[in-house]
Amino acid sequence: MSALLTVRGLCKRHGERLLFDIDELSLEAASAYVLTGANGVGKSTLLRILGGLEAAQVDSVVFDGQPLALQPYPQALRAAIVYVHQHPILFSTSVAHNIGYGLLARGDSKSVVKKAVEEAMAWAGVGYLRDTDPARLSGGEKQRVALARARVLQPRLLLLDEPTANLDGSAREGVIALIPTLLEQGSTVVMACHDRDLIGLPGVQRLKLRDGRLETRPKAD
Amino acid sequence: MTLWEATQHAFALLFSGDAALWHIVWVSVKTSVIGLLLATPPAVLLGYAIAMHRFPGRRIAVWLAQCALSLPTVLIGLLLYLLLSRRGPLGPLEWLFTQSGIIAGQFVVGLPVLLAFTLAAVQALDPRYAETARALGASRWRTMTTVLHEARYGVMAAVISGFGRVISEVGCALMVGGNIQGETRTITTAIALETSKGEFAQGIALGIVLVTLALVMNGALMLLQGEAHTAGGRA
Repeated sequence: MSALLTVRGLCKRHGERLLFDIDELSLEAASAYVLTGANGVGKSTLLRILGGLEAAQVDSVVFDGQPLALQPYPQALRAAIVYVHQHPILFSTSVAHNIGYGLLARGDSKSVVKKAVEEAMAWAGVGYLRDTDPARLSGGEKQRVALARARVLQPRLLLLDEPTANLDGSAREGVIALIPTLLEQGSTVVMACHDRDLIGLPGVQRLKLRDGRLETRPKAD
Repeated sequence: MTLWEATQHAFALLFSGDAALWHIVWVSVKTSVIGLLLATPPAVLLGYAIAMHRFPGRRIAVWLAQCALSLPTVLIGLLLYLLLSRRGPLGPLEWLFTQSGIIAGQFVVGLPVLLAFTLAAVQALDPRYAETARALGASRWRTMTTVLHEARYGVMAAVISGFGRVISEVGCALMVGGNIQGETRTITTAIALETSKGEFAQGIALGIVLVTLALVMNGALMLLQGEAHTAGGRA
């Protein structure tokens, strides 16, 4: 399978302290990965760098066969990569507006946005929350809205930071059930997590950050 | 005249619709609102820019913005007087002792308050709002409008505080406006003048207007903040 994103010589320091020094990170198109590692090893930081929210030293980046730089973060990556926080932030408008935010920012017409939002709300099972104040949502509902908001943009690469952290019971199961369907639209998904159920999803490849290095493990079919 | 008699006279002036008195109130409100409307866009943009960006000299910019809050308005008035006087660089504008001059003063007096409060409001906002907007592909402009929308209660507090500052200042309005009856006499300059003449009734009446304005503006602010807390409390 072809590589969607290849990053070589990715080094991140916090002051004098070396957080990680990754020789190569290669992500295949339409694949799923879990990124594991002890707390504080830099999983979130790695995703934030790939999502253009944090700077790092990088030797080379190739996205979809095109060599790029990470600083300044190129528009080609901004349009193709979406990062979702561990505790997603929802804007204080409405659930429907939140889900359509990225499409509106992209300049899509209102009719296109409306149709895509309806479809995404049905996918995430949040249609009943359409006009609800986002501040009233539970953690699980927020995460599902955030996933719908990301999915609606049909990203080539979706970066999920601990998508099931602090969720339990049906809220957690509801989020886990959505992950395989994200792959069906051809997105590559990378999830930083400790959740065994996410790690054990069929076809998911494992990346592990340990002692500042990235280890790749085969699929857990 | 006793304080009680002066107060009774003051209420009589207010409720009789005394034209001179209400003209003074009109000049005050008009110059304050226009000055504030002119100061709000640059102050909010600058406050947002300083809060959101890291650049050399940023801490100095924050320090200067906060110091500007403490600048005596009479000093601002003096500087503006020198700039606007016939021999000053802005003399050709002929704004000295005009309402335009007072508006310029209100602009300079209000701008630091708006800037510092906006800066504080944006800085206090969870940085993930801006990150989320950027991660969803928002332009710089859309990210800014999104962040300012999320910080709207703080920005509104900035505007209300700015209005409180400009409508209640006396030094700048006195020096730049000149306290000309029917032209540049404002609530505060009129209170100072009437008190010096021993005419307490009009001073008290204007004081009542000023206090009422302060109560209404701060009441509105409290309502807004209460709404913000209610919204936050539902999270």
